[in-house]
Amino acid sequence: MEYFIQQLINGITLGGLYALIALGYTMVYGVIQLINFAHGEFFAAGGYVGVILLSFFAGRGFLESHPILCLMAAFVLAMGYCAFLAMGVEKVAYKPLRRQSRLAALLSALGMSIFLSNGLMLTQGVYDKAYPSELFQGGIGFGMVTISYLQMMIVGMTILLLFGLNMLVFKTKIGMAMRATAQDKIMSSLVSISSNRIISLTFAIGAGLAAAAGIMVGLYYGSVRYDMGFLPGIKAFAAAVLGGIGNITGAMLGGLIIGMVEIFGAGYISGQYKDVFAFIILISVLYFKPTGIMGENIDDTRV
Amino acid sequence: MIQEFKKVWKPYAIGLLWLLGLLWPLLGIHPDGTLSFGTTFTVWVYIAVGISICLLLYVMNKSGSLTVVSRPLAAFRGVVTQTTGKVPVWVWILAVLIFALAYPQLTNRYAQDVATNVLIYICLGLGLNVVVGLCGLLDLGYIAFYGVGAYTYALLNLHYGLSFWLCLPVAAFLAMIAGSLIGYPTLRMRGDYLAIVTLGFGEIVRILLNNWMSLTNGPNGILGIKPPAIYWPSFADGFSFEIFYLKKLHYLYYIALALAVFTIIAVRNLNFSRIGRAWESIREDETAAELMGVNTFLLKLLAYAMGALFAGLAGAFFCARMRFVSPESFTFLESAMVLSMVVLGGLGSIPGIILGAAALIVLPEVFREFETYRMLVFGASMVVMMLFRPAGLIPAKRMGARGEEKEG
Amino acid sequence: MRKKLVVVLVCGLMILPFVMGTAGAKTLKIGSMSPLTGPYASDGTDIKNGVLTAIQVFEENGGVPGYDKIELFPQDTACDPKQAVAAANKLINLEVVGVIGAYCSSSTIPGSETLDEEDIPMLTPASTNEMVTDRGLPYMFRLCGRDDDQAPAAAKFLKEQLKAKTVFIVDDKTTYSQGLADGVSKACKELGIEVVEHDHVNQGDKDFAAVLTKAKAANADILYMSLQGYSPGALMTLQAKRLGLESQIVSQDAMFQPKFMEVAKDAAEGVYITYGFTDTTTPEYKAFEKIYVPKYGPIAAYATYAYDAATVLLKAITQAGSTDPDKIKAEIMKMDFDGVAKRIKFKPNGDSGSSYIAFKIENGKFVPYWHPEKGLLQ
Repeated sequence: MEYFIQQLINGITLGGLYALIALGYTMVYGVIQLINFAHGEFFAAGGYVGVILLSFFAGRGFLESHPILCLMAAFVLAMGYCAFLAMGVEKVAYKPLRRQSRLAALLSALGMSIFLSNGLMLTQGVYDKAYPSELFQGGIGFGMVTISYLQMMIVGMTILLLFGLNMLVFKTKIGMAMRATAQDKIMSSLVSISSNRIISLTFAIGAGLAAAAGIMVGLYYGSVRYDMGFLPGIKAFAAAVLGGIGNITGAMLGGLIIGMVEIFGAGYISGQYKDVFAFIILISVLYFKPTGIMGENIDDTRV
Repeated sequence: MIQEFKKVWKPYAIGLLWLLGLLWPLLGIHPDGTLSFGTTFTVWVYIAVGISICLLLYVMNKSGSLTVVSRPLAAFRGVVTQTTGKVPVWVWILAVLIFALAYPQLTNRYAQDVATNVLIYICLGLGLNVVVGLCGLLDLGYIAFYGVGAYTYALLNLHYGLSFWLCLPVAAFLAMIAGSLIGYPTLRMRGDYLAIVTLGFGEIVRILLNNWMSLTNGPNGILGIKPPAIYWPSFADGFSFEIFYLKKLHYLYYIALALAVFTIIAVRNLNFSRIGRAWESIREDETAAELMGVNTFLLKLLAYAMGALFAGLAGAFFCARMRFVSPESFTFLESAMVLSMVVLGGLGSIPGIILGAAALIVLPEVFREFETYRMLVFGASMVVMMLFRPAGLIPAKRMGARGEEKEG
Repeated sequence: MRKKLVVVLVCGLMILPFVMGTAGAKTLKIGSMSPLTGPYASDGTDIKNGVLTAIQVFEENGGVPGYDKIELFPQDTACDPKQAVAAANKLINLEVVGVIGAYCSSSTIPGSETLDEEDIPMLTPASTNEMVTDRGLPYMFRLCGRDDDQAPAAAKFLKEQLKAKTVFIVDDKTTYSQGLADGVSKACKELGIEVVEHDHVNQGDKDFAAVLTKAKAANADILYMSLQGYSPGALMTLQAKRLGLESQIVSQDAMFQPKFMEVAKDAAEGVYITYGFTDTTTPEYKAFEKIYVPKYGPIAAYATYAYDAATVLLKAITQAGSTDPDKIKAEIMKMDFDGVAKRIKFKPNGDSGSSYIAFKIENGKFVPYWHPEKGLLQ
């Protein structure tokens, strides 16, 4: 029983991380129907900026004196950096291709993904970069079950961010504008919602969430690497599709499911096939409900 | 020219500043607590200079300062087009064929190696073209069929000693079955879901190949596969046939050439057949095709199967050439490369895909000199290609005209 | 019109590699094959740097008679068999006289088959899979140890020194790590140690929570990690400590990298690693250190082996007075000297023997701890 609970905790933690990355995919797909392959690289870039900032603070001594403050600063700055990066990428690589075929935009996204991950490699080196791990070591134990402080922090941050996003999208005016653009770009531009700005905002928010996930992954696992964006990226996209693409709640749900499936598959069946389980679940769900669990939410009006 | 410059200087300046803002945190913040601007500036200046030169050329082109160069070039191109237009197509095809046949005699080993690679990828690209270009099914896991073909030959040869020529149709057939199996669950899904599901399938196949030790020997791969062999008359002790292994690189080149030619002819015939037209109708508008009586279900399955067939052939040859096969050759990046070749060359256009395959194999080899910058430049060039030539290098000629085009 | 353009462009592209050639009169060309990009780029770059150091030392001592300079052509295999074959072909084209490489056994094996067709000697500093030299290729040599030597040594260590009764084995299904893990599993069973479970993760994984939870529940005496590269190993160690795993962690030679401690930090204390014995107090090692460290940074696992491999090749060419592969082979077989990593003496099949000892990580350093014959070294 305790084994089950421990794996459950592991699964929720991983699921939360996938949910954060999946949100970026789903929101971008909702507005411009593009699978942003470069999204995994925003995740990696966030992790890198986090480690750079935290090491910098450690070097200056701030990390020992004000750990929480440094961490908050690192989060905010990394999220800002990735938002900045994402807006730029969108302007350069995706905006000019909005009228072209979807495949052209997809290839551009793939090229951008290769470019960004190699850019990270060239500027940061091919070796892993370790996170200063003096933070948040240890955990609370209930018998055989240990919840580490990091796991609690990750789950807590994830819930906070998801809640914040929900507030933003469903309760504010900007959120309404985002939902309108996702539903029907042309009509919403007719009511003077600038679709360009909303799209940039969507990219920025998505990348910010991915960056937060990146930092948390770095803290949780201990290090970041330039190619760490790829596999979580496709699994997160699978999670987004699973939950219903374009649907924010769906992405959260999908992320959680994929994370749990992966951990339980590894824990009860075998660690070697854990990536396979995630995809099998995806294919099965899509076979019976082709639009995902919560239904899709995209602009499918055709002129 | 100043007017042109005025139009573009704002985004240009913002872009450069943005680049600086992005580069600095990566290069300028150090773990020992110092901040520096030196490295960042150097790198940034290099990139800024490069972009400025491009911008300068662009502005000059727009404002007409370059006409002194571009007009004679255009005229020259017109002349070339006119003279070559008079030569019938078959002469060109013959010339290419002769060149291809004579190629191994003219070049060194490395070039032959590259050329053989190009030919394999031509097969792959044309096969993927059947799925993506003709039928409009976005398949991101195409490389799985390649792997199935390769492992089929490897296992059959290792355990049963079957020859390459016998295994070729078997590999193709098994790949076709794999294609149908993978295609079947995806038939109800729409465009981009198809992408992620096929990607998932590609990864599943790779993980299975990697982890199923008893069948595939896992990550160690399968060694000791025999290359293609033919019976050659030998006059040693009287007239008899002996097995002659086609190990030398130029023999392999010719086999690859034969496979590639076969693929080109097959895909071309498929393209201009009833099946090809049915696929195109599915690509354009599936609902309308269904209404017109096209059996979309069967035809989509057929598209997968045919695409997989060519991949299986290429895979069996790849295995025979390397004499060693391992799951590391069948990653998603490979699938992405093949897709890039198809889109880069021009979706649905056979000469375009040939060119795309050649470009994407030869250029990284040329860039090998840059070592670590290789993939960076590759990624950037993919983006640039899509920005400037989204229809591909040689876009396909459409059969019949569309309503919008007539008005244009 | 476009079709004609195709012809011209394709011809142009096909000719491009042909015109890429190299010049250089009286240059001794050697090649290196290692992953310079991709997940193993750090080890591959170490190998390249090791060879460069050897060339530097050789040139400082007069170079190879008959040649003005020695030039290295480093090729990138990215641990991909296909790229390894392409790299091998390119080196053949460049007319190198010998190749140091590769790193991943899955690259060395096809690469060596290609090089063998042209009778070019190949010395691998890092591929430990048995098949590398078991195939009987005439010009294939190996500087590092073999997996079927490391596994029994590790098992012996577990039994005799650590007095273990149960072990939980994890590997990441790569050629090298799985081969070693299977070997350890077999050797442990022979010595009477119970293998509680032999689980797998995937290459490139970061999340080991599930497997480690399993290991914690199994509560074996030892957790044996066999992973390709220091990076997953360090992460696993870190996560294990955080989870409160009490089993003693023992690992293999891929972890022998200073960066292992950098990533795993405190969690790395007390971890045991089997690695080929390298005496860091010998004058040869010190000389190597003096040249290598200022230029390339800390010495990792395979820089020393790569240095020795290059030295062996260059020495053989010098002593043979020619680049004929048979003569080079004859000279290599005669060799018996103290290299940087170990004593260099080759067996008939190209192996050079291995002497694996167990190191312990104490205070952030690798300390030699236990020798199969001599026992505790402290």
